[in-house]
Amino acid sequence: MKHNRIILWSFLLSLGTLTSVCLAQQPPAASASIEAVQVIGLTDLKQNTKGNLKVENGSLTFASSKTTCEIPAASIQDVVTGADSQRAIGGTVGTLSRLAPYGGGTALSLFRSKLDIITIQYRDPDGGLHGAIFTMPVGKGESIKEALLAQGAHTSIPSQARSTWDSPLQSEAMEQIN
Amino acid sequence: MKTIERVTILCIFIARLTATPLLCEQPQPPASSPAAIEVEMIQAGEINLPTEFQVALYENLVQELQKKGGFSHVYREGDRNTAGASGLVTLHTTVTGFKKGSELERDVTTVGGATSITIHCKFTDKEGKVLLERDITGKVRLIGDNLKATDDFAKKAATVAQEALSSDSASSNSKSGYKNVI
Repeated sequence: MKHNRIILWSFLLSLGTLTSVCLAQQPPAASASIEAVQVIGLTDLKQNTKGNLKVENGSLTFASSKTTCEIPAASIQDVVTGADSQRAIGGTVGTLSRLAPYGGGTALSLFRSKLDIITIQYRDPDGGLHGAIFTMPVGKGESIKEALLAQGAHTSIPSQARSTWDSPLQSEAMEQIN
Repeated sequence: MKTIERVTILCIFIARLTATPLLCEQPQPPASSPAAIEVEMIQAGEINLPTEFQVALYENLVQELQKKGGFSHVYREGDRNTAGASGLVTLHTTVTGFKKGSELERDVTTVGGATSITIHCKFTDKEGKVLLERDITGKVRLIGDNLKATDDFAKKAATVAQEALSSDSASSNSKSGYKNVI
């Protein structure tokens, strides 16, 4: 009886370990929407439109207050992330603040916020090439890219996480070449 | 009596002066049927151009060509509908110069930090014959982020394309002030 219990416990423990390992290997799913700005590229949307970016059900969805655009992940030929910064006070107020006396406008322009840029290139049903650029809070770009790659998108530059995972294999391959 | 004569002559003179511009405004001949244009993706060439600039250049160019009119249709690279398009002109673009400035530097100094992109534009017909070649530069000097240079380039390129290719106004005295390379 005791022997059976030990076997059962060891089986359950090993099952739990395997499950956690399997779950850890799953690609990160960015189903939660991220606040983003569509800089340019999506049809029927003006430049610099604010909205929410989401990757789910095999497509990238950008929902603004007026419309929702959906791009199938499989049609995305390239996803590239980048980084930039912008004035903390932007828009009309930011432009007007440049006129502030005694260099106040210049001082305000020193306050900048970092952001991530994600650039995609995709094909429409007719085969036409499109491009779109999104900006989002820093640190969010890579998760969107990972989620897109997991759902069938392609990239010319492997993501940082992926390249880190691949590095032992790459080093082995390099050794074999040498 | 003399006064009436003088007034009549003056009236006739004024009427003639007013009518002259109207007579000069002959009906414009209808512009030749505008061609369709296919825009190819911007080629970075040997320049290390960030992807966001490449995409912004392409998208702005397509949008500006659509906005300016002059072409019956603006096709994107790879569009299968170009197969049946008559009088198709293809725009090939290669980046020849790029200087990424700094928005912060522009804000602070107001003289430095400009971003500029120079692109060699080549318009060809369906047979590959070169119709026009020009170098166009997009800049942002003071207000705006770096990507605004792509918008500046697109506006200039669309003006050049419209003036040179969409009608018979391929003269060197164009509004944009660019000269044909060929």
